[in-house]
Amino acid sequence: MIAIEKLSKTYPGGVAALREVSIDVKDGEFLVILGPSGAGKSTLMRCINRLVEPTSGRIVHDGREITAHGRKLRDVRRRFGMVFQQFNLVKRLSVLTNVLTGRLAYRSAWRSLAYNFSQEDKRIAVECLARVNMEGKALQRADTLSGGEQQRVAIARALAQQPAVILADEPVASLDPKIARQVLTYLTQVAGELGITVLCNLHQVEYTREFAGRVVGMSRGTVVFDGPVTALTDDVLHRIYYRDPDAATESEA
Amino acid sequence: MSWRLHHIVLAAAGVAFLLWCADGVELRPREVVHAVPVIASYFGRMWPPRWEFAQSVWKPALETLYVALWGNVLATLVGLPLGVLAARNVVASAPLRNAAKAVLNLFRSISELIWAIFFVAAVGLGPFPGAMALGMNYGGILGRLYAEAMENVDAGPLEALQSAGASRLQVFAFGIVPQALPQFVTYNLYWFEVAVRSATVLGMVGAGGLGFELVTTIRLFEWRETGLILLVILAMVSVIDLASTAVRARIY
Amino acid sequence: MSAATLDALVGATLHRAAAQRARRLARAALLAAPLLAALAFAAGQIGMNPLAVARGVPFMWDFLTRLLPPDLSYVPLLTRAATESVQIAVWGTLLATVLSIPLAILGAGNTTPHPIVFHATRMFLNALRSINELVFALIFVSAVGLGPFPGVLAIAMHATGMLAKFSAEEIEGVDRGQVEALQATGAGRLQVILFGVIPQVVPAFVSYAIYRFDVSIRSATVLGLVGAGGLGFSLFKTMKLFRYHETATCILVIFLLVLVSDWLCARVRAKVL
Repeated sequence: MIAIEKLSKTYPGGVAALREVSIDVKDGEFLVILGPSGAGKSTLMRCINRLVEPTSGRIVHDGREITAHGRKLRDVRRRFGMVFQQFNLVKRLSVLTNVLTGRLAYRSAWRSLAYNFSQEDKRIAVECLARVNMEGKALQRADTLSGGEQQRVAIARALAQQPAVILADEPVASLDPKIARQVLTYLTQVAGELGITVLCNLHQVEYTREFAGRVVGMSRGTVVFDGPVTALTDDVLHRIYYRDPDAATESEA
Repeated sequence: MSWRLHHIVLAAAGVAFLLWCADGVELRPREVVHAVPVIASYFGRMWPPRWEFAQSVWKPALETLYVALWGNVLATLVGLPLGVLAARNVVASAPLRNAAKAVLNLFRSISELIWAIFFVAAVGLGPFPGAMALGMNYGGILGRLYAEAMENVDAGPLEALQSAGASRLQVFAFGIVPQALPQFVTYNLYWFEVAVRSATVLGMVGAGGLGFELVTTIRLFEWRETGLILLVILAMVSVIDLASTAVRARIY
Repeated sequence: MSAATLDALVGATLHRAAAQRARRLARAALLAAPLLAALAFAAGQIGMNPLAVARGVPFMWDFLTRLLPPDLSYVPLLTRAATESVQIAVWGTLLATVLSIPLAILGAGNTTPHPIVFHATRMFLNALRSINELVFALIFVSAVGLGPFPGVLAIAMHATGMLAKFSAEEIEGVDRGQVEALQATGAGRLQVILFGVIPQVVPAFVSYAIYRFDVSIRSATVLGLVGAGGLGFSLFKTMKLFRYHETATCILVIFLLVLVSDWLCARVRAKVL
């Protein structure tokens, strides 16, 4: 279980991306964080695997505080697989090598420099590819794949980390609807099979209704809704997507 | 109104600066008009080239290529480690990066001819100091270009590697190197071409290649021989230009 | 998916991966072998080996100790030469900029009046490019005598070749849509070039011209070797007289000059674009 407690992040320059955000995530849950762009969803995810250091507040995962300084960053990060909007594969490397990069945190830096991976790592990588039905294209260069295929490989890369949690940051924002549903289906299916907790940022309501178990609605860096997807009424959506003009002037003052 | 005045003053200052420069380099319209036909007549004297002279030129011409080739290899050996140390997304320590950049600047700003003089003085006449000179000067240039190529790679995949728990060194090996590599090869090919052109003058200071023959024929007013050497250089550079274009098209 | 089918799948994929790796290694070796052989042969021809480098090190060190420290009292005597180098670079680049505009238009496939003109121009530009500034300077010094003037012409020649070829390629890469839009309005050939093509290439042209100035400064510091003015003359004179501390001063001034022009060019480029 992940406990996010009063997490705040203010970027240099004074932009407050997160204001005292508190969320509890249960193990094995598929949690969608819904909100317009600029709501602070990406920052929240990046705080969880510490690509971004929060200004205040803390995050506790399975009783260990992630945000505590001095903890080994690589150990924190390898427990959180991440999937990005732009897929972020290394385009000139093969699909298999891309998935193998998910194993890097388990191996010493010097030995992996020669692109030599153990049989076990390779086995895990191919298994992860098979879970998203991409093993047939394992030897192709990543830039020969379509967007949907690249995102499936990116999911396989996250799986190769053998993570407890997958953080998906707008994973389907760059894909057309048919492919987007396919990718989200893979993500929910695989996470369900392996018992991986998923935090998924989305800005589209339709996908949220189709795939989410629980929804957290965010607007302007704060949580404005937290509940089951069935409770996602028009009124709630209004709160997430339409800014209160009074609140706007207040925060900009 | 005021901005117009501002522009007039600026333009006047620019023209004054140019006139001052022209005066400093003895560039006067009358002299230019006078010089053009004289220079044209000198190029006229190079025609027809003395074809028989090819016999004594082909060896130094090949030597020029060897010097350029090894100059390029040495430049890579000098530039690559320094370039890596100077790249913002590879090395975190600013003092270390700045030190690497300072060394690259030093190597880059000193012309290959000055380096050649230094190496000739140190190891004696011959093509070998020429290659070393190219290695230093072009190492400085390439190192800076390598660093820029690495800094300009797509940051997305680097973030992905980082988020998977890859160490700095692993991010470098799996994210930065594969993305920057085609750019490295392109730079090397392009600067090989430039190195061949430079290698044709290193002989002026005794560092091998065609430069020695070039200076000798010009000093002796053997213009038709000079013409042949210029043709040989043109042919070499053109062939390399074509070859490197062909290779560049295939590496991406 | 059952464990057995998964195992088979993993085995097959890893087998394919291993085969691909072996094929790639073989191909790389096939490519690398002749290249390495050529390098080894070239190394032999120019008398280059690690031993020679090692033997050279003490001599280099010796030479370096004779150079250092630079004799700073020599700096005032160098200001005139340094100024001259800058002046040479300014006019060399300026002349090249002016000359390269018509040559670029004649040498670009989409703006040239005739294919013969195109090929002749490209040939001419290649000749200008492949001949080093120093070679031009050497010939010009013979023709018009010693001094900075032949240096300016030498820089102008070489830079014209570089700048015109670069611009010609830029012209060939312009956006067709804007050109067609102008043609559709019934604009004449010259009007299309002036209003459809030139505006598109101006930023790249200016940026490259500034870069060329930077390169010209560096070239202008060595033209003195063949008597074409600038800092190079002092450099070689002090060397011939074995006044190495003064030589070091020359190198120091060159270094500073290049550094300042580098910085200045980066500033100007950022401002212009």
